[in-house]
Amino acid sequence: MRRLPVYLLIDTSGSMFGEPIQSVNVGLQAMMASLRQDPHALESVYLSIITFDKEVNLIFGLTELAQVQLPEITTPQSGPTFLGMALKMVRERVLSEVIESNGSDKGDWMPLLFIMTDGKPSDLLEFKEAVPLIRKMKFGSIVACAAGPKAKEEFLTELTDNVVSLDTTDAYAFQSFFKWVSESVSIGNRSIGAADDVALPPPPPEINLVI
Amino acid sequence: MSIITIQSNSGKTVKFEEKKFASGGMKDVHWGVDKNYVVAFYRDKQNENSKERVENIARLYRERIFEREGGEYWRKVLCWPSDVVEYNGKLGIVCPTYDNHFFFEYGSVNNDMLGIKGNEKEGKWFASASNQNRFLDPREKGDWRSYLRIGILISRAVKKLHSAGLAHSDLSYKNVLIDPAGGNACIIDIDSLVVPGKYPPDVVGTPDFIAPEVMASKSLKVGDENKALPNINTDKHALAVLIYMYLLYRHPLRGDKVHDMDPQKDEELSMGSKALFIEHPNDTSNIKNPENVKKTAMPWGDPKKMPYTICGPYLSALFERAFIENLHNPMMRPSANEWEIALVKTLDLTQPCMNKQCNQKWFVFDNKTNPKCPFCNTPYITMLPILNLYSAREEGKYKPDNHRIMVYHNQYLYKWHVDRTVFPNERISDADKRPLGYFVFHNNEWKLVNQSIPELKDVKSEEAIPIGGYIVLTDGLQLTFMNSLNGRLAAIQMVNGTE
Repeated sequence: MRRLPVYLLIDTSGSMFGEPIQSVNVGLQAMMASLRQDPHALESVYLSIITFDKEVNLIFGLTELAQVQLPEITTPQSGPTFLGMALKMVRERVLSEVIESNGSDKGDWMPLLFIMTDGKPSDLLEFKEAVPLIRKMKFGSIVACAAGPKAKEEFLTELTDNVVSLDTTDAYAFQSFFKWVSESVSIGNRSIGAADDVALPPPPPEINLVI
Repeated sequence: MSIITIQSNSGKTVKFEEKKFASGGMKDVHWGVDKNYVVAFYRDKQNENSKERVENIARLYRERIFEREGGEYWRKVLCWPSDVVEYNGKLGIVCPTYDNHFFFEYGSVNNDMLGIKGNEKEGKWFASASNQNRFLDPREKGDWRSYLRIGILISRAVKKLHSAGLAHSDLSYKNVLIDPAGGNACIIDIDSLVVPGKYPPDVVGTPDFIAPEVMASKSLKVGDENKALPNINTDKHALAVLIYMYLLYRHPLRGDKVHDMDPQKDEELSMGSKALFIEHPNDTSNIKNPENVKKTAMPWGDPKKMPYTICGPYLSALFERAFIENLHNPMMRPSANEWEIALVKTLDLTQPCMNKQCNQKWFVFDNKTNPKCPFCNTPYITMLPILNLYSAREEGKYKPDNHRIMVYHNQYLYKWHVDRTVFPNERISDADKRPLGYFVFHNNEWKLVNQSIPELKDVKSEEAIPIGGYIVLTDGLQLTFMNSLNGRLAAIQMVNGTE
C-alpha cells in the first residue's frame, strides 16, 4: 500500500498572533477529525506539519494519520516570516522521508504540499533560492493559500499555479481552507470524470482561485 | 435553517434545506425537509442529454424496475432517484435516504475514537484489512458469511440493472453501502447509469474499480473510437473486484510489481494495460512480498496465507475467469448472475468454526483431509456428512449438479436443495423459503429430520422416510426428494475431521 505524504506549512509569524492562530488550530483539529473519518485516508495518508516564523519548526515528521497527536500551535507576538527557510526544510524532509520507487519496490505517492501564509516571505534571498528547488521536485500538487488582506499572492504564484486566497483570517475562513485540504487529500477514492484528469475538488465559496 | 420549496419536474412539491450537508465528486447534497429523501444538485451545468438521462432514470427506468410485480424487493438494494428538480439553474435529483442500518451504530473501537458513529457505512471501512483489524468495533464487522450475503445482494442488484440494459458505470465501495452486522447492501449513485448507445458515461469510474481497458485508454479524448468507456462489461470487472475485496480484504491487482518509477504512471499501468492478478499461478511477477505488507493488514495482506481458494471451488472458478483468464477480455468476464449463483452455492459449503473466539465464525470446508478454519487455523474434529447433489433430465440418468452441501448441526434443508427448478433469488415464493427438514448431530449420529418432504426416499432400500421421521446419514447413502424429474438425488459422503 503506497503512502500519500502530505506536508502542511503554516505561517506562525507575529501577525498570526491572537485570533488567526486560534482559528488555525481549530481548523487543523477539524481537518484531522474529518480525515480520521475517511477509511481511504486512514490507510494511506501520512502527515507532516512545519511552522515558520523567525524560526522553522518541525512540529512532526511524516506520521501515519491514526498516530498523529496534534499539539497546540503557538506563535510569537512579533517576528518575521521565514518562508524560504521553511521551503528548504520541506525539501530536506521530502528527500529523506519520501520513499521513491527503486524499480523493484513500490514507492510512495507523490507528496502534496499545502502552504498557508498571511504575509510575504521576510527571507527573500532564501525564498528565491528555494522556489526553483521546490519547483523541480516531484510534488503531486502544491497549493498555496494567501490568508487575509496582507498576504502577498505574487510570491506564492512563483511557487505554484494553485494559489487560493482567503479574504479574512477568521475561524470560518480557515475552517473552509482546512476542509478543502482534507477533501483534496481524500480525492483518491472519488469517481473520475470521463473527460478530465484527476483534479482537486472545487474550492468552497470563501476561496477565490487566483489565475 | 432555511427551507426551500420548489416543484419537481414531475409536479411534486419538494422541500429541502438550503445548506448542503455533504459533497460528492459531482454533486452537493441537501436534506429533504423530513429527512425521508435528499436532493442532490450537480455542481456543473448539465447539458440537455444529461438532463434527459436523469429524467429517464427517475421515470422510465425506475418504473421498469420498481413498478412491476416484485418491484418492492429492489428498494432494499437499489437507492433509485425518484424525481428530478431544477433550482437556480442547477439540475438535481431526489433520492430516498438510506436505511438506518447503513449508518454506524457503534463505529470504531475505544468508544468510537474516530468519531464515525452515525456516519454512512462506506464499503472501504470493511474492504480493508487494516481498517478491519485496527479500527472497526467488533459489533460492526459481521462474520464471513455476512460478506457472502452482501456479495449476493450486490450481484443481484447489478444483475437487475444489466438485465434492464443498464450499466451502473461507477461501482465502487463508495457507491455501495454495506451493513455486515445485519447482512445488508445497497447500490447508490444510480444517476450515472449508462444506457448503451443512448447515454454515454460521464465518469470513467473510481480508482481500484476502473476496468483495465478503460484505465489503459483514459488519456484519449472523449470521442476517440479507441477510448474504452464504462459499460456492462466494465461493471462486471468492478463487481469481481468488490466481491474479492469484501471476502479477502485486499485488492486483486495491487501487488509489488513496479511498471514505472513515477507512481502516477505506475498506477495507470498496474490498473490498466499491464494489470496482473496478484495470485496469478503462472506469472508471479506481481505477487506480494509479505515483508512489504503492513503488520496491521495481516494475515489478509499475504495471499499465500489467505489465497483466493479459501473461498471454495465455485468462487475460485469465477475469480480465475475474472482475474486470470479474462482480465483483459471484457466480453468473457463472469456475469452478475454467475456471481450470485456461485455465492449462494458457496453458502452451502460453509461450516461454523469450532473456535468460539474466531472472528470470521464461518469458513468454506474444502473437502480435503485435515480440514481447518483458514482464518484461525482451528482444526475441524468430528465426522461430517456431505450431500453431493445430482439431477436427471430423463428417468434414472442422474448427472452431478456441481453443488454440494457441507452439513453442520442444526442446518436446514430448503426447496432449492431438493428441486432443481427452484433457486433462492428475488423471485422465490414465500412458500419455497420455508425449510423442509434439518440436520442434527444427535446420539453420536448425523440425522436428517423430515419436516415436510412427502416423497423423501432411501434409494437403495426403497424405503420412504415419513414426515416427522428421520434417517441416519451414512457413507454411500442415496436419497431422493421428489418423484418428479425436477427432484434431485443426494449422494451422502462421510468425511473425517482431524483426529
